[in-house]
Amino acid sequence: MRWFILSSIVFFVITATVGLLLSLKFVWPEFMGTAKWLTFGRLRPLHVNGILFGWLLAADMGLLFYLVPRLCGNKLWSEKLGLMTVGLFDLVILGAVYTTLSGQTQGLEYAELPLVLDVGVTLAWVFFGVNIFGTILTRKHKKIYVSLWYTMGAVIWTAAVYITGNFLVMFATGVNQANLNWFYVHNAVGLIFTPLGLAIAYYFIPLAVREPLYSHKLSMIGFWSISFIYVWTGAHHMIHGPISQWLQTVAILFSVMLIIPVWTVIVNFFGTVHGRWDRVRQDPILKFLMAGTTFYLLTCLQGPMHSLRTVNAIVSKTDWVVGHAHMAVFGAFSFFAIAGCLYVVPLLSGRKLHSVKLADNTFWLMMVGGLIYFVSLWIGGFMQGLQWNDPSIPFIDTVRFMRPFWIARAFSGVLILAGTILFFYNLIRTFGGTAGGETTTAVGTPVPATA
Amino acid sequence: MFHKLDFNAGWVAVGALLFFLVGATLTTILPQMSEASWTTPLEGSRAYSEQELRGKAIYQREGCWYCHTQQIRTLEADTKRYGWRGVDAPISLPGEYVRDAPHVLGTRRAGPDLARVGGKYDKSWHKTHFNNPRDLVPGSVMPPFPWIVTDNGGQDLKNLIAYIQTLGRTRDWRPDDDYEE
Ligand code: HEC
Repeated sequence: MRWFILSSIVFFVITATVGLLLSLKFVWPEFMGTAKWLTFGRLRPLHVNGILFGWLLAADMGLLFYLVPRLCGNKLWSEKLGLMTVGLFDLVILGAVYTTLSGQTQGLEYAELPLVLDVGVTLAWVFFGVNIFGTILTRKHKKIYVSLWYTMGAVIWTAAVYITGNFLVMFATGVNQANLNWFYVHNAVGLIFTPLGLAIAYYFIPLAVREPLYSHKLSMIGFWSISFIYVWTGAHHMIHGPISQWLQTVAILFSVMLIIPVWTVIVNFFGTVHGRWDRVRQDPILKFLMAGTTFYLLTCLQGPMHSLRTVNAIVSKTDWVVGHAHMAVFGAFSFFAIAGCLYVVPLLSGRKLHSVKLADNTFWLMMVGGLIYFVSLWIGGFMQGLQWNDPSIPFIDTVRFMRPFWIARAFSGVLILAGTILFFYNLIRTFGGTAGGETTTAVGTPVPATA
Repeated sequence: MFHKLDFNAGWVAVGALLFFLVGATLTTILPQMSEASWTTPLEGSRAYSEQELRGKAIYQREGCWYCHTQQIRTLEADTKRYGWRGVDAPISLPGEYVRDAPHVLGTRRAGPDLARVGGKYDKSWHKTHFNNPRDLVPGSVMPPFPWIVTDNGGQDLKNLIAYIQTLGRTRDWRPDDDYEE
């Protein structure tokens, strides 16, 4: 489904640009400051929603439209419905650009889009789900590969999580609403983008490295444990906040237990690549996949740590968390999706990737940019958190203190955006392109073997 | 038994949904039934006026809540830092928020917490501050909001300030009642 991928990479470039603008505002607050439509409070939801839905969700859907039929040994259930899904989804995203910039918002994180657009997203998701389940139920390969479990899980959880976070939440107020809001925000990452990202990684890692998956059993434990554990943790966004202790404790316990599913995934991915690191060195796709795996591990070790009461008292509400969120969505799940796009686009267009070298440069720009981003915000955020806990330091001093870290962050934004533009250019040239292209990307069997 | 799941899509789907529902119910539906304070406004609180609601809508529209939290957590540092003129800020209670839809608890403190800011500054301070925060607080990264000051013949500004001045007032926490207008 080239249209999904095409539209997702367009939004990737746009919203990464918006991200850079936002980072500049922390260095020069006056920068484009007097333009109502471009104030921080309106660009931020555009950046967040644009990346989550316009880029990542769309790219994931595009990739699943590709890999689900291959894993099932048949064709996509309905190509037409697929096209309708893209069309509707893109309309929603364009509408979202307008509503966020004009300041129309529901005022809830990740749920800023107004009701009409929420309905659009839901419909698009139903179309998507019908198509995916249609394909799976009419499959030729009887055995269900782990990517398909995650895909099915994601279709169902996304529906439930999205409806809670965008519709049901409107009937609640105050702390009750906040609890539903964090339930949604947290599970949007954990039960929408995680399973979609893992479905993609479980598919492409064995293929790209041309080895069977390390352990089928582990992948099974991982899937069932994440589906049970993840959903309990939303309240860890309000540790020390105005909610009951028992709910905080439950959220903390389950957050710590999340290490189980994460560990199974990590062992499985590294186990698959074990002894084949020479292939990673040569292939930018594998680099993205394995760097993504590493960032996934780090994110998921940070998460449980943040939820502990003592650590939370330092890092909560600081830029540390912003670094953490970017490592999850950019470092892990976007890297998986980028790898998927680099793999699939050549196959879809029947050409070699325009330039493997360019893809390699994309990787290094994003990797270095990402690391500068994460590390500067961790250090800065952690120290700011310590300063906040000393009430004798005036607040504004803790803001001034962040300046060098924010400058570093803006610089990393330039690198990341540059990487994004190279990625875009590379794929566009592959799609539309002149016949050129240096080497073949690894084309393995379309179904990964399980050991 | 698990082995069968490898071949049966229906069971995977149903299982995934059931597992999810257990946690979802216990962490979202149960607390709103068991915690009365989540749905009953704090005693002595009043509903927002028309004007304050319009002000809150501006707070929502301009994304103030991305940079400001409104919650004094159960941490001593919070109560000290967000108190003013020598009086510590009282810790936030769930009942204070019941009239807020959307809620404005926030997650990020690019700027200070605002839960107890009502009455800390007077109108003219806010006017200058919204127009350009750096005129009052050099080094601030709060965006300038000149249009809030000028739009609708200054009505937007009045509404927003009216809302800001309500924050924390339910708790009536100043011993000398020294709230600014
Ligand atoms: C980019 C983040 C950002 C946004 C958006 C933002 N602020 Fe601020 N705000 C700050 C920072 C940083 C400070 C501390 C420095 C200062 O006083 O200017 C601050 C300070 C304040 C203060 C003074 C608090 C005190 O106790 O001294 C108030 C009141 C305030 N902001 C209200 C608002 C309102 C209302 C909006 C929306 C119209 C808003 N802010 C939007 C960052 C932000």
